[in-house]
Parts: sequence; structure tokens; C-alpha cells
Amino acid sequence: MSPVTAGVPPEIPRVNGELAFDALWESRAFGLAAAYLASRDEDWARFRRHLMDAIAEAPPDTPYYEAWVTAFERLLAGDGVLVTAP
Amino acid sequence: MSDDGHRGAEPSPIERRVDAIESLLVEKGLLTTEVVDAIVETYEQDVGPLNGAKVVARAWIDDDYRARLLADGTAAIGELGFGGPEGEHLVVLENTPAVHNVVVCTLCSCYPWPVLGLPPRWYKSHAYRARMVREPRTVLAEFGTTVPDGVEVAVWDSSAEVRYLVLPERPDGTDGLSEDDLVPLVTRDHMIGVVR
Repeated sequence: MSPVTAGVPPEIPRVNGELAFDALWESRAFGLAAAYLASRDEDWARFRRHLMDAIAEAPPDTPYYEAWVTAFERLLAGDGVLVTAP
Repeated sequence: MSDDGHRGAEPSPIERRVDAIESLLVEKGLLTTEVVDAIVETYEQDVGPLNGAKVVARAWIDDDYRARLLADGTAAIGELGFGGPEGEHLVVLENTPAVHNVVVCTLCSCYPWPVLGLPPRWYKSHAYRARMVREPRTVLAEFGTTVPDGVEVAVWDSSAEVRYLVLPERPDGTDGLSEDDLVPLVTRDHMIGVVR
């Protein structure tokens, strides 16, 4: 079992703007879900349930934002916005 | 992670999926690229652990505020102008000489966005989520944090309803410091509880 802090530099977040994303697509995935829910005046509850399921189903080393994208696709599919063709 | 969004290379499958979602939502008129840009920028630049640090510093210098903060975290944090998504029910956990608090979300990555911004990578990792509950002192040691045997470690599992913020103990030797001088002493890791 590897230490959970492996590869994480010690950070002093006394300024805002810490890099929260490893790649551009991750920040887009976050922003798209946030914008979509905001446009519906909806909180995160429904998305969070999809996210919990997606994380639980995926192998433990699956990147977090891949599960996030899966969760968002399912939410959109449930809303009839996205027709999935897996 | 080697994927840094390098330009010129073929998009990866996950990049294509995200692009497809964005194109679809824009084409359907459900949102605009500019709105997404603005949200990302807000979370990357304006919302972050500095907000939480201000809350902690205020609690250190103002006993009345500290009492209100412990009684109703959401309301007291709102007094400083912080609130919003994922901050509807904030509970503040006070560290004492007898108890050290640390926060985890075992199911996903629940996190108090209005005061800490977006969670760091390790907070979302399977290893942290699974191990902090099972062997907290070992995981804390990996963060360089040793909690003496006589001090209880309390692990709090965030839920869909509640977001936790740890109120660390005020460091010794800071009696003469102003609120503004105290803010930089408070780190994100203090407020998650992985640092004491």
C-alpha cells in the first residue's frame, strides 16, 4: 500500500488559486457540470449520487475526473439530453 | 499523470468525451462556453482555502465569533461572506489538547467548497478515503503529523448533508499577532486535519 501523500508536495495554501486540476479536460468537466446544474437551479445531490456510483464501480486507480465524466454523462442521459451509445 | 493537455497531440478518449459533452450542451443552447470559463476561473482563482483561513483567524481572536462558529458553522461562516454550493451545512470541529479532528469522505469527495475551494488530489484518492478511517494515525504520520498517544484522533466522514471544517489550535507564541497576520499561518491541511 503506497502512502497517500506520495507525489504530493507540501503546500501552504495561503493564497487562493491552488491548481486543482491535472489537465484541461478535468477543469472543463468540472465547469460543465457546475454550469449545467446552475442553469437548472439544481444542487449537486443528483450528480453526487451518480458520482458515488461511478467511483464505486470503477477500479480503485481510476482517475477521479474520469468517474466524474461518467457520472455527468449518466445525469445528462437521465435528463434526455445525451443519448448514450457505449 | 502524463496528460497535461498538450497541444497538437491527438485528443485522448476522455478528452473527446468531454469535448463532445460541451459541444452538445452548447448546440442545444443549454449553456455557453463563456459560462463554463467563468465558473472554472472562479473556483481556480477566487474560492480557496484562504476563505477558511480567514474564518479560523477570526475565531482565534474573537471568542464570541468562535462560539457562534461552533454552534452554527454555516451562519458564522456566512457572516464573513462565504457560502454557496457545498456549503449549505457546515460543521466546525474544534481541536483541543485532548482531541485532534480529521476529515475524510469515504464515499466520494464531499468537501466544504466555500471555505476550502476544490479538494486536493489526494483527498479524492481511494487510498486516503479507505485508509484514513482504518488507520488514521498511520496516514497522519505519512503527512508528517504525529498525534501523541494521549490525544484522541477523531475521524469525521463527510456525508451528502454535512461538510466539516477543522478549527486548529492557535499556535503558541502568536499572542501578539493581528488577525491579518494569523491568516497565513492557517493551511488547507490544518483545516482538513491532516496537519496538527
